[in-house]
Amino acid sequence: MSGTHVGSPIAARVRHVEALLEHRGLLDDGEIDRRIDEFLAGGSPANGARVTARAWVDPGFAERLLADANGAIRELGLSMSGGLQEQRLKVVANTEAEHNVVVCTLCSCYPIALLGPSPGWYKSEAYRSRVVRDPRGVLREFGLQLPGTTRISVWDASAESRYMVLPRRPAGTERLGEEELAGLVTRKGLIGTAAV
Amino acid sequence: MPDLAPGMRVRTRSTDPDGHTRLPRYARGAVGVLVEEAGVHPLADERARGRAGTPQPVWHVRFAAADLFGAGDHTVTVELWEDYLVPIGERA
Amino acid sequence: MSRINDVGGMAGFPAITEEPDEPPFHADWEAHVLALNGALIRRGVYNLDEFRDAIERMPPQEYLAASYYERWFTAIVTLLAEKGVATPEDLATPEELEVPGA
Repeated sequence: MSGTHVGSPIAARVRHVEALLEHRGLLDDGEIDRRIDEFLAGGSPANGARVTARAWVDPGFAERLLADANGAIRELGLSMSGGLQEQRLKVVANTEAEHNVVVCTLCSCYPIALLGPSPGWYKSEAYRSRVVRDPRGVLREFGLQLPGTTRISVWDASAESRYMVLPRRPAGTERLGEEELAGLVTRKGLIGTAAV
Repeated sequence: MPDLAPGMRVRTRSTDPDGHTRLPRYARGAVGVLVEEAGVHPLADERARGRAGTPQPVWHVRFAAADLFGAGDHTVTVELWEDYLVPIGERA
Repeated sequence: MSRINDVGGMAGFPAITEEPDEPPFHADWEAHVLALNGALIRRGVYNLDEFRDAIERMPPQEYLAASYYERWFTAIVTLLAEKGVATPEDLATPEELEVPGA
């Protein structure tokens, strides 16, 4: 990646614009640092994992989550209002018959509150261009081999909703508690590029 | 525009607007099925021109990959403003 | 208009690469760009769709050559000039102004 070094020209340009805006009263003292801290504290895949584990152990919660995800995650003290305004959350559940995978082909829309900052591959042209056309091939590259009988449903986050995949509970986890179950869930599982 | 409802078949706009739009190129001029309404929001195309934008329903619209790309056994569900959609009558 | 950001279904992009233990930002300036954009939208200098539009208007070769947050910074500078918040000369560093055509 270009321009990533501390003393790089772009770092100097960003500092220059920031100083100019501070000087003109468009930025408050310390506002940038505060916003960066808020962003980094604002979301984590651990949140999506908690939602998933609760849905696995509580069928009533799972039902509410699929019908009204914003309302359901509030039960866990979570919300989609970390950004500029509350965003609609749509949770799509994997089943034996159907696997879901999420993309934003036009930019990089993503539920940061539940998944944390998005990975570079999610924002890449490679992923955005290919997963709508050849999801089975893309998932294979991620190491996810789905049976030919599993239908694939791709969701393009092209408007105001943000999407989270609800992975299937792995076999043999009947004895695990909710916290241990949450520990099994990965960011890729919540996007749909991994099974869990 | 007649009231849209889940299950209805729609065709997406095929024109290439002169500016920002949230109708992806691969889903233009294609026939899909309305899955669910996803709220009411100002049209992004208008907001991108600095206007407040007319609020209108946004829909999850499901397309068969074969109808978009000529191949593929998967579906692609795109979220589209009503402005991008024309109903084509019969239910799927 | 069909723009370079609208890549869904396009052929020719390379294989998808994952970065192990990827940090949220690869340099401090990236975090500053993210925060700057949030601040300007919150203040109503421009809205999110105008921001996306400004990214999409980048010439395709520049868009593809730029990193994610370089695109963001390009859009911020474009909008600050277009909205009359600052002139392109104000927005450029002295070093940039010294290089003709930069």
